[in-house]
Amino acid sequence: MTDVGRHPRIELLTLSEVVDVQGYIGNFRIKVLRKARYVDEKECTACSDCLEVCPVTKPNEFDLGLSTRKAIYQPFPQAVPSAFVLNLEDCLGNNPIACGKCAEACDLKCIDYDMQDKEVEFRVGTVIVATGMDVYDPTELDEFGYTRFENVITSLEFERLINSGGPTEGHLIRPTDWQLPKRVAFIQCIGSRSEKRGNPYCSNICCMNTVKDSLLIKDHWPEVEIKVFYMDIRAFGKGFEDLYKRSKAAGVMYIRGIPGDIREDPEAKNLILLSEDRNEGKVVEHEVDMVILSVGLVPNSDSPIIRQLLTLSQTSDGFFMEAHPKLLPVDAPTKGVFFAGCAEAPKDIKDSVTQASAAASRANILMSAGKITIEAITSHIDEELCKACGICARVCPYHAIEFDKEKKLPARVIEASCHGCGACAAECTFGAITMRHFTDQQIISQIESALGENPQDKVVVFACNWCSYAGGDFAGISRLQYPPSVRIIRTMCSGRVDEKFVLHAFKLGAPIVLVSGCHFADCHYISANRWTQKRVEKLWDKLEKKGVRPERLQLEWISAAEGLKFAKVMKEMEELRKGVTMEEIEYTQKEL
Amino acid sequence: MAEEADFKCLRCGHRFKAPYSPKDEPQERACPQCGSNSVRRIKEKAKGK
Amino acid sequence: MEIERAETEELRIGVFVCYCGLNISGTVDCEAVAEYARGLKDVVVVNTNRYTCSEPGQQTIKDHIKEHNLNRVVVASCTPLMHEPTFRAACQEVGLNPYLLEMVNLREHCSWVHMHEPEKATEKAKDMVKMGVSRARYLQPQIEKEVSVDKSALVIGGGIAGIQASLDLANAGYQVYLVEKKPSIGGTMAQIDKTFPTMDCSI
Ligand code: SF4
Ligand code: SF4
Ligand code: SF4
Ligand SMILES: [Zn+2]
Repeated sequence: MTDVGRHPRIELLTLSEVVDVQGYIGNFRIKVLRKARYVDEKECTACSDCLEVCPVTKPNEFDLGLSTRKAIYQPFPQAVPSAFVLNLEDCLGNNPIACGKCAEACDLKCIDYDMQDKEVEFRVGTVIVATGMDVYDPTELDEFGYTRFENVITSLEFERLINSGGPTEGHLIRPTDWQLPKRVAFIQCIGSRSEKRGNPYCSNICCMNTVKDSLLIKDHWPEVEIKVFYMDIRAFGKGFEDLYKRSKAAGVMYIRGIPGDIREDPEAKNLILLSEDRNEGKVVEHEVDMVILSVGLVPNSDSPIIRQLLTLSQTSDGFFMEAHPKLLPVDAPTKGVFFAGCAEAPKDIKDSVTQASAAASRANILMSAGKITIEAITSHIDEELCKACGICARVCPYHAIEFDKEKKLPARVIEASCHGCGACAAECTFGAITMRHFTDQQIISQIESALGENPQDKVVVFACNWCSYAGGDFAGISRLQYPPSVRIIRTMCSGRVDEKFVLHAFKLGAPIVLVSGCHFADCHYISANRWTQKRVEKLWDKLEKKGVRPERLQLEWISAAEGLKFAKVMKEMEELRKGVTMEEIEYTQKEL
Repeated sequence: MAEEADFKCLRCGHRFKAPYSPKDEPQERACPQCGSNSVRRIKEKAKGK
Repeated sequence: MEIERAETEELRIGVFVCYCGLNISGTVDCEAVAEYARGLKDVVVVNTNRYTCSEPGQQTIKDHIKEHNLNRVVVASCTPLMHEPTFRAACQEVGLNPYLLEMVNLREHCSWVHMHEPEKATEKAKDMVKMGVSRARYLQPQIEKEVSVDKSALVIGGGIAGIQASLDLANAGYQVYLVEKKPSIGGTMAQIDKTFPTMDCSI
């Protein structure tokens, strides 16, 4: 930590928040709001003279309110920067008449009540998002009595209690009587792995944290009786199983099943846990002196702001979404942005450090090259044709299109951010968008050639470059045979398949059209294929209205590994094709 | 209770019910009978006919 | 529906049909496909080759581009996911923009999947080449633009991950701006004394 404070190339901006990000990969313009510290960071030597005179006492946030601090304080002893900070809301008045004791006490004169918040601006080439997580607040789980019963605490509060730098200097006590608790219970999965309350995911760290905490207690106070109530113990990392075994060998009792209720003995302030004994099928009571709720991790409350500033996305759990869950796990969908630590998902310290180094290395690759070539396959908006409807900006998974609702100016593509999926071009109803290398003309001419002779014998297949086209390749490599009626047209993403391509194919006499792309989870353009599906659904309605069987337009998600599925679907297409009569085709050609 | 809707497979013709709410994010659907993704939601008014 | 067609310069398309040993030619009658291609509009030269991706195969493409002044190239061989970069590079070497190349996937999408129907496969191959040639007509040169990357990084968040990333980047020689909301860096980690699995101090 202190290395950061000392490093000549690290500018540390504390009490600061990013308020604006402009630009794109390689050239981000950042605006940061630096809140006033009211103490000169460079001059303050953390001598503590001011502390002694400050008359205000407040709960200490760092100790989660288990201890107190003054209005002017050092967040914690090893803080970097080590300078004190004055909390103006706690201070009796930024008016020396009201108090002003600390300024007087400070020999170096580094306290300035009139210090102002400052906006700082700079340019960077890359961004690393390491915004971390918050800890789940178990108050809503009323049955565990957190905040109702004083001796029910969270695992993070426990960390402060048992920390040698903490409020009790590392002595284990329970809150009501400051005595060593003789019997302690841990309850696992608080706020995790529940579909009903809290979060459905596993928070990754809580099992091992409890195993560690149980050993911390046993190492110092072997007489303390410890019961751990759990669903499963997940000890899958290097050295984890050993630690778990050590904990069991030290006498920690691991009991499967989460207690359904906790009651408090109003006098002794002891807690009675009701849990079901699965073997006996009856309810058992466990009386303990203190309960520690092993709370899970939740996305940082600032995530939505960062998400907006950097145009990121989130997965269903609320954590940030990677560019690809397996192949680009530290890259953000926005080029030049990377993830480190719990911002992306709950993880322990080792994994956080590993990911941080990976993110730094990914950023390093870009910066050491000093330049990057950007995708030639990008979209282009014709200002003359654009009606400023804004649809394109809404569908773009990368927020690569700038569009100002108020100003009603033509939309603009930020080429360095565009990944070239073509969803915008397919959605623009005014034909204002040209997809480079996959233009309407190019695709239409392929359709026309495919259906030039005997269209009734052909099946037109749109296949996305990454998955379904590659799935077709895999069928080939595996020599899986299918009928030769299909004519494949490649697009980068199924999201490129414009309504008019499909209708044009039917107009030219195609009996069957198949639109195929990646499975939702594999979409190489984050979510562009959601628009494919919506468009196909709309087309089904449209065809039906015109009296054309919607069955003639087919949809399929085929991955690059699904050669078998590709061949199977092609056979099915041929079967469907045989069912389409000449009359039907002629009718369609007339109607559309 | 979760909302449901009627679906029809445009490949094999199978009809089935599946959880659906207009508020949902679009999701990948497959026919429980033939596995096809050509699954169409049958809207209310079409059902009455 | 009327699709606007861009005016282009005189088109000179070269088609290169690959045998891939017997991989393609074992099923598809490559000479017949080549003959068919000769009749397509704007095609000025058609060539067949045992292995188009081999050095001599690529040389043939380059020679033909120069000799016939080709401004579009269609290679009917294997999947573009494999050899598009190879043939793009070949075009570029003789001054043809790499985006003026079109590939037709005769192997993975035709000969290998219709092995028992050589005649139909040959017909399909002709269609595919025709599709490729017509697409090639509308290809436009594309330029891969370069943008510079500033040698500095913003790290948002001063917890363990932010600290590690900042140090790594600063040690690699870049200017780092580390932005932390709280008055000190350290994050959640600083609140914890001993950490698993080694039970040592975290700071
Ligand atoms: S969708 Fe088309 S018309 Fe609408 S803003 Fe985008 S480019 Fe303009
Ligand atoms: S092509 Fe795709 S990534 Fe590019 S601007 Fe359009 S929607 Fe966005
Ligand atoms: S270019 Fe492709 S099809 Fe031709 S020989 Fe090489 S691998 Fe085979
Ligand atoms: Zn079905």
